[in-house]
Amino acid sequence: MDLQFLYSLIVAVFTGGLAGYLGSLMITKRMALVGDALGHVALPGVALALVLGFNPSWGALPALAIGIFLIWLFEIRTKLPMEALTGIVFTASVAIAFLFLPEEKISTALIGDISQIGFWDMLISIILCSIIFLVLRKIFSKMILISLSEDLARAEKVKVEKYNFLYLVCIAITVALGIKITGSLLMGALVITPAAAARNLSRNLYQYSYGALIIGIISCISGVLIFKILGLPTGPFVILTATLIFLISLIFKRK
Amino acid sequence: MPENLILKVRNLNVKLGGERVLENLGFDLREKEILIILGPNGAGKSVLLRTLLGLTSFNGEINWRKDIHVGYVPEEFTVSKNLPLSVKEFFNFKKADSLEISQSLEWIGMKASKKFLGKKLGTLSSGQLRRTLIAWALVDEPDVILLDEPMVGIDIHGRETIYDSLVKLWQKKNQSIILVSHEIGEVCKKADKILALNKRKLFYGLPTKVITPQNLAKIYGSSISL
Repeated sequence: MDLQFLYSLIVAVFTGGLAGYLGSLMITKRMALVGDALGHVALPGVALALVLGFNPSWGALPALAIGIFLIWLFEIRTKLPMEALTGIVFTASVAIAFLFLPEEKISTALIGDISQIGFWDMLISIILCSIIFLVLRKIFSKMILISLSEDLARAEKVKVEKYNFLYLVCIAITVALGIKITGSLLMGALVITPAAAARNLSRNLYQYSYGALIIGIISCISGVLIFKILGLPTGPFVILTATLIFLISLIFKRK
Repeated sequence: MPENLILKVRNLNVKLGGERVLENLGFDLREKEILIILGPNGAGKSVLLRTLLGLTSFNGEINWRKDIHVGYVPEEFTVSKNLPLSVKEFFNFKKADSLEISQSLEWIGMKASKKFLGKKLGTLSSGQLRRTLIAWALVDEPDVILLDEPMVGIDIHGRETIYDSLVKLWQKKNQSIILVSHEIGEVCKKADKILALNKRKLFYGLPTKVITPQNLAKIYGSSISL
């Protein structure tokens, strides 16, 4: 087995699992489209990384940090709804990216490419995914409590602002990691679709969150395998596998 | 603070959106005391509880005894039907073990069957959800419990058992209770003190002394008796 393929597979397993797990929280918090928006906010960084020839995930991170900071700043300054400001920032990001994104790199930026992964890229991805997963697992029940009733959470001495901030950082890093696999355009689906499928099939939080994690992994493995065997692009097939599982989940949906 | 004093409130003023909703309130809560807060709808009762919990900004003085553990049952609590969160997992948020869960559910008159614990929180009836929420507030044995209209959505018989359970529990443990209600009734007989308010204090004191037709007219606008 060639090493490149193994690296891709490992990165896909870790990133897919993390994105699925995070997604179960994002749907509960009604933030399903945030992953989508942030995928676009990351685009200038992704474009820069592709021009300079390094891993798009590492370009995405600073772009996301700047984007999120701007949204936060505009919100304080204008008091406009957060979603309007996010809309402004993410479309502007796309516009900026297309100023210097070379034509032959457009598809990589938009739908991802996991075929070129080095050892260090893999190692850093594994470490980041593991840390973020552990942080999410730690804050998971508090985040659900906050989404049920913020008053109740605060009465239980949950530091809501601190948890929301940690959660946002986790989202940003997960989006940056996922962009390598599915690109800016499809990143949103990597967090939403596996979690939505798992939600249809589960009775409790444990089944829901770990179900989403497993479906995320299956989808990503399937994408990488299809690329290896048929030579078709990974990103779209990751998402299509997840979508297929979602459709199947509708049949078994628990009442 | 005197030893058995748990909460001291003085000159409490709260404004919401420029409007004064609480004016110059003052009262005390001691150990093992049941304080009932009465008042018509919109009198600021829920705001008062939220302010005591530190959820609203205020002017004046709210002094809790140090390291006090407060349990809270909010008036509004709804759960989406399709949220996969089981009753047991809801209790696990408080790191409660099976014994503690079944004990607290029994306190408010429910059986902690395996089937019930496995149910989705969002599929419980409103009465069951209310009771579960009260049990959730009780499960880690707080020193004080703040209940905001805990009987909303519970039938008369259910109310009695919940009141009885609260009183029984209160006799066993040493906790204090602050209970908000918009109606007078059985509950007032069990209180140590009654605070009636409509933005400002209407009356405050022992139920036998303050529940008079004249005073009740202050709350409800016409003369009624218990």
